[in-house]
Amino acid sequence: MTVLVTGSTGFLGAAVIERLLARGAKRIRCLVRPSSDQARLAALASAYSAGRVEVTIGNLQSAAGIERALIGVDTVYHLAGAMRGPPAGIFLDTVVASKRLLDVIASHPVKRFVLVSSLSVYGLADVPVDRLIDETTGLESHPERRDAYSYAKLRQELVVQEHAARAGFQLMILRPGTLYGPGGPAFSPRVGLTVPGWLLHLGGNNVLPLSHVSNCAEAVVLAGTSNRLEDGAYNVVDDDLPTAAEYVRRFKREVGRVRSIRCPFFATMLLSQWAERWHVSSRGQIPRVLTPYCTASLWRGHRFDNRKLRRAGWTQVVSTRDGLTRAFDDLRSRSQAATRLPAVTRTDGLG
Amino acid sequence: MLRVALVGCGKAAENHIREIRKLSGASLVAVCDIEPLMAEQLAVRYRIQKHFSDMDAMLETERPDVVHIATPPQSHLPLAVKALDAGCHVLVEKPLTLCYGDSQKLVAHAVSRERKLTIGYNYYFDPIARTMRKLFAEGVLGRPVHIESFLGYDLSGSFGACVFANSEHWVHRLPGKLVHNVIDHLLNKVAEFMSDQVTVQARAWQRATHRHPTCSMPDELRLMLFDAGTSAFATFTSHAQPVAHFLNVYGTKNTARLDFEAGTIALSSTAALPGALGRLSRTFGQGFQCLREGSKNVIRFVRSEYYALAGLNFLINAFYDSIRQDAPVPVPYQDILKVAAMSEAVFAQLRENRSLVA
Repeated sequence: MTVLVTGSTGFLGAAVIERLLARGAKRIRCLVRPSSDQARLAALASAYSAGRVEVTIGNLQSAAGIERALIGVDTVYHLAGAMRGPPAGIFLDTVVASKRLLDVIASHPVKRFVLVSSLSVYGLADVPVDRLIDETTGLESHPERRDAYSYAKLRQELVVQEHAARAGFQLMILRPGTLYGPGGPAFSPRVGLTVPGWLLHLGGNNVLPLSHVSNCAEAVVLAGTSNRLEDGAYNVVDDDLPTAAEYVRRFKREVGRVRSIRCPFFATMLLSQWAERWHVSSRGQIPRVLTPYCTASLWRGHRFDNRKLRRAGWTQVVSTRDGLTRAFDDLRSRSQAATRLPAVTRTDGLG
Repeated sequence: MLRVALVGCGKAAENHIREIRKLSGASLVAVCDIEPLMAEQLAVRYRIQKHFSDMDAMLETERPDVVHIATPPQSHLPLAVKALDAGCHVLVEKPLTLCYGDSQKLVAHAVSRERKLTIGYNYYFDPIARTMRKLFAEGVLGRPVHIESFLGYDLSGSFGACVFANSEHWVHRLPGKLVHNVIDHLLNKVAEFMSDQVTVQARAWQRATHRHPTCSMPDELRLMLFDAGTSAFATFTSHAQPVAHFLNVYGTKNTARLDFEAGTIALSSTAALPGALGRLSRTFGQGFQCLREGSKNVIRFVRSEYYALAGLNFLINAFYDSIRQDAPVPVPYQDILKVAAMSEAVFAQLRENRSLVA
């Protein structure tokens, strides 16, 4: 039994490979772009018995590479996508790349397809904050008003669902929150926005929908292997989560000093209205960084429900307490190596 | 109202859409891409009514007056010919085609169809480039002696990542590979000063510190160009930091220094005062010019005119005006073809000295 993993050299990808190996997967094939750094993958492969991880060099824009990677595969873990860059590039590398993969799957059938999506696909701008966001919550109906990443993840889900209905494979969609863990980013947009040396703290007392990278990887592997999961979508967030304010306080205590300005939600909305007006009146000269719609979607304080995933048998492999301690230890050692604020990598969309 | 359609919904397309939208006499009616999802995403994000994956269907149903072509260069010639045959005026992204012969054919086809054709030379119409031309016209610079055209590029950006990640990316299939995609920006600022009889010396290589195991295409290019009266140096670099983009135009009277990153133009003039006083006056003169240019840019910023694609906006507007008024196109065909001929000479030489491996 061979499984295929796309995006295996990324932050989550490496953790998924590790969980697959730990759970005894016999043959894991990784579709890796020629320019990707394979060092982490090689280290993982060598830590377990030889021959279980194989690398196929290719690209999701090329059918030939995908065909090679799909030979003998019955489960696909599709993690690849783009988080940064021009909107068209994010869309191409997320949605069109998925379509290319699925087009080849049509002639190389698989039994199960696990898609790693995002919580940002939900349309939350008008949803009351006291409603727990579960998998029955409606998807975004105004993708054009959201950031490019959220739009791409939403459209990707729809493309995969269309193909699943046609091809008849089992489809598990996982919607992780903000991934964190060793090697991960310091601050996600849900905590706030960073400008060099400063954190504009917008998350306030919102509970952060964190998912430790190992816990998320466990959910991904469970979705690909367990018979307890039904087709459909699953939120992936951990339990016992801190608020954004608690996260920032702990960061300052355990990692190092960061200059932060806390901005309450009403002030963020005012700032967003002003920023959007300036974007329009300057005819695009000022980038569209903040909009009221994205602010209402991201920083209003929605909470996400993980009960469906827990009912399917998922449990955290790393407790939130231990996960945060390890993540802050890692961030501290990285910040000691660098003199400035750890670089921020977006782990979910701005909306 | 001109009906405008756009073909090719990748990264370059958004620049066109944003600038078309700013013009009052034009309406973007449809977008088209061979990949339906790409056409759809652009239409959704910019709220464009129609999107197509079949250009013939778009031309037939929408009957645009103007078609912008922002596809990979390999498809420019057939798509532009198709649009011209449908009676449209055409704006093609650079490079116009893959070789000089094809560019000649396309220009001739536009002329024979009595349609207008132009190319996406946005920096050619940047406000500072237009000021420089005005200085020449007023005789401030004298006659051109030497030009330095410098273009920096950050390969660690999203475009570079795409190119290196995918060995089948269209850039790898260009005759001049990566430098083919940018050479127009180097040469179009030089071509207007030079005759048709240009001698070219070219060197290109992949910098050792950036060698990639699966990709050997050059990422550094140096050119020397000569004609009977003028010379030029042109530099494309993917490694020098910060990424710079400038043009120095040395005239018989004065020298103009154009910084496209900052959007400033400064004159270097012979000192009026002798000796050390002259050197001092030059320093203060340069400082004064910086202050003046900075102030101008503050005003442009307030007027929402201080952005990198101001030249593209001017070009599109001038092209549409040339259509409405049946006036000459903004970029003379002879300059477009001169750039194509220079590029072809460069690539031929790079192949000869084995800098470019087919």
